[in-house]
Amino acid sequence: MMFKDKAIKQWKSNYTWQPLLIAISIILLIAISHKVHWEITTETDPLSVWNDRKVTELDNKTTINYSNENLLNKTITFKGVLEIFPYTNTSIGTLEESNGTFDKIDGLVYSEDSYSKCMINLNGMRILVNGSLEGKFYESEVVTVEATLIERSFNYERNNANIDLKSQIWEAEIDDIALADEKDYYFFGVETIIFALGLYFSLKRVSNLNEQIKFAKHIALFEFKRGFKTPRMIVLGLIFFVFIVGMGMLLGQLQNSSNSILGTMTTKGSIIQLSYFTFMIGSMVAIGISVDTFHKERQENTMDLLLARPINRETIVLGKALGLTMVVGIPVFIAQIIGLYFMVTEGNMPPIGSMFAFLFFGQIMIFTMVTFQLCLAISARSGSSVVIYGLSAWLLFALVWTLAVITIATVIGVDINGENFENDPDYQKFASRMGLLNPGVIYQMVVGLFTNRTISVDLEGVPGWLALLSVILWPIMCLRMATWLFKREMRG
Amino acid sequence: MANSLLELEEVQKDYRIRNFGRVIRTSKALNKLSFKVEKGQIFGFLGPNGAGKTTAIKCITGILKCDSGTISIDGENIENNVFENKNKIGFLPEQVGLYGSLTAQQTLEFYGGFYSLSESIIEERGGKLLDLLGLSNSLVKTVREYSLGMRKRLALATALLHEPEILILDEPTSGLDPRGVKALRTLLLDLNEKGLTIIFSSHILSEVQELCTDVGIINNGKMIRQGPISKIRETVEKTAIKLSLRVNIFGKKDEKILNENKDISILENKELGKHKKIILKLKEDLIPWVTNKLVENGTKIFSIEPHNTTLEDVFLTETEGDDDV
Repeated sequence: MMFKDKAIKQWKSNYTWQPLLIAISIILLIAISHKVHWEITTETDPLSVWNDRKVTELDNKTTINYSNENLLNKTITFKGVLEIFPYTNTSIGTLEESNGTFDKIDGLVYSEDSYSKCMINLNGMRILVNGSLEGKFYESEVVTVEATLIERSFNYERNNANIDLKSQIWEAEIDDIALADEKDYYFFGVETIIFALGLYFSLKRVSNLNEQIKFAKHIALFEFKRGFKTPRMIVLGLIFFVFIVGMGMLLGQLQNSSNSILGTMTTKGSIIQLSYFTFMIGSMVAIGISVDTFHKERQENTMDLLLARPINRETIVLGKALGLTMVVGIPVFIAQIIGLYFMVTEGNMPPIGSMFAFLFFGQIMIFTMVTFQLCLAISARSGSSVVIYGLSAWLLFALVWTLAVITIATVIGVDINGENFENDPDYQKFASRMGLLNPGVIYQMVVGLFTNRTISVDLEGVPGWLALLSVILWPIMCLRMATWLFKREMRG
Repeated sequence: MANSLLELEEVQKDYRIRNFGRVIRTSKALNKLSFKVEKGQIFGFLGPNGAGKTTAIKCITGILKCDSGTISIDGENIENNVFENKNKIGFLPEQVGLYGSLTAQQTLEFYGGFYSLSESIIEERGGKLLDLLGLSNSLVKTVREYSLGMRKRLALATALLHEPEILILDEPTSGLDPRGVKALRTLLLDLNEKGLTIIFSSHILSEVQELCTDVGIINNGKMIRQGPISKIRETVEKTAIKLSLRVNIFGKKDEKILNENKDISILENKELGKHKKIILKLKEDLIPWVTNKLVENGTKIFSIEPHNTTLEDVFLTETEGDDDV
């Protein structure tokens, strides 16, 4: 009864945000049905089927089959992440070299016929595709493949003996492969509409919304004018301007040459790397500019005069966050455009989507870092604490994140031994998931995501939609946290 | 019956001391504080340091949120329409904090931006206020170059810019020179004549006595006395008055006799040339008893004079036992 009463009280106290909370609940239900849909209509764990495969090698006979006999000639729709191995002179060698070679994992013997085909790796499962996928599908895309298990016979030589091979191979035609995003977009679209409706009806409940928007704009412009001409901003601005533009030029050059530190860069890699440098320097300026807000105002008693005006605390936080974002965001945006220009002129043109993501989510990233620092500035008790917290956060997010991930991986038992542990899929998956806790990594992920044609891709263990959701949730959560902390002050 | 312009009903407020977000201690600031302010009053808010005056003012102005109880303006709970109600209030805090890089006009433009005022109205009203408050000669200076008094006057201009119904001032004269105090007093009386209701807290009791129509005395977060100054004085006088006596001698024996009566206390006993000056605090009807006793004991009384009760006396009587006054 106590719990019920508390829940009802809590619900009533959130009158304004009730429509949004209802919308989020509906979205959760849709997300569950989205997951259920894929589970029912497809086999989402191809590896579990693949692991049932047995290879038996006798004197002159090799058999590859599945324990489950019912699978033979059966057609199953698999869903997973794509990795393509085209059968070409460069991948399996020339006909002279590869003809008659038995590959145990692919489960076939290469012949002239192989060259027009390709093998795909779907979450570890091999499927032979009768045709070339070049230009049709790309690595890391999430696809559905309608494959049939077929038994084929081959002959090959082993120790000068002629061996008969009977191999059960999953095979598919090019038309049997489809991007999973069509159905995903349907679900995401409905979820977005419901979220927008929830937000719309919640905002309609905010009293004097028009006035509050006007006040937020008023504070934002005031903060922008005040912050933009401070000596601190001028110095920091010049540093990051030179850094971002210079890095853009260097990364463009590295697409055609190499460097002992950064090596050679691909076109896609360059823009992801430039987004890292933008984060590194942009977040430092965002934190540096936001250090004084709230704490200094409290010290100088400027806040009381503001709080006595007919303005919500949420509006004050939002206005200040927007103003500070403009202070940092506008010069960063200009530096990004010039950096991109040099990168493109010195190297190649990255996908348009990734350039849009680089610029747009760059602003979102700065807003996130500003609101993150506002949380620290509101809750810190002294000016030195604000600086120390901010600096620590920047060091963690921008410089020592990889070390932090390795440390945590060690603690929780992820294998990090070996020279190339960073290429180990398990570590990559762990590091990518940990990256969701870092706005900088998320920014790079999203820029990387937009180098693809779809968001139904796998970013080394993190689905594209999750990276996109994170980049939206981070600033919302930081803003919510900052307003909550600021309102908590009002309660005394 | 018409509603009071401002009414506080059983307002409670605790301050929470937090460590890593966890509340480790609470301290009571307002303890069921109730009072009313009628339209047109100049209400003096009195109380010793830490009594809860500033907390009460912060709750009224919406800077703090009270834990329980209601604060209403014109009979409407301020929580129900914060926007409208805050529009009715002008506030001058004790510690005035203004943005140092702005000029007076820019400061007015910034704070005026939070009300439905057009730029031309801000400019027009702002100009008049700056003129009235003696700041029109300092328009090119930034606030950083202002003296404390000038800052207070500018903050007062921001509080009056939207023509509020209630003006709340927290220790408005602290930091002002005598000329500034006098100018402020004249301004407040003038504004009050034009219909503005004023609430202000002050430690300078003579000033409150001179300016206010009504006072409220708060102690330990609770209103202990409220009403017109004359009525409060009468009430206190019924409880005790001060009596000044000039006598030839006042020895241990006299002291003992008077101390035997619990309703009498000796506030002062000092030599005054050939005589002694004794100040007693007692109920008015005990005066004949005192004079009789002293005369019976052989004391000659040269003069006897009751003291006028000042607001300070009321304040000290009402907040007796609190050393931090």
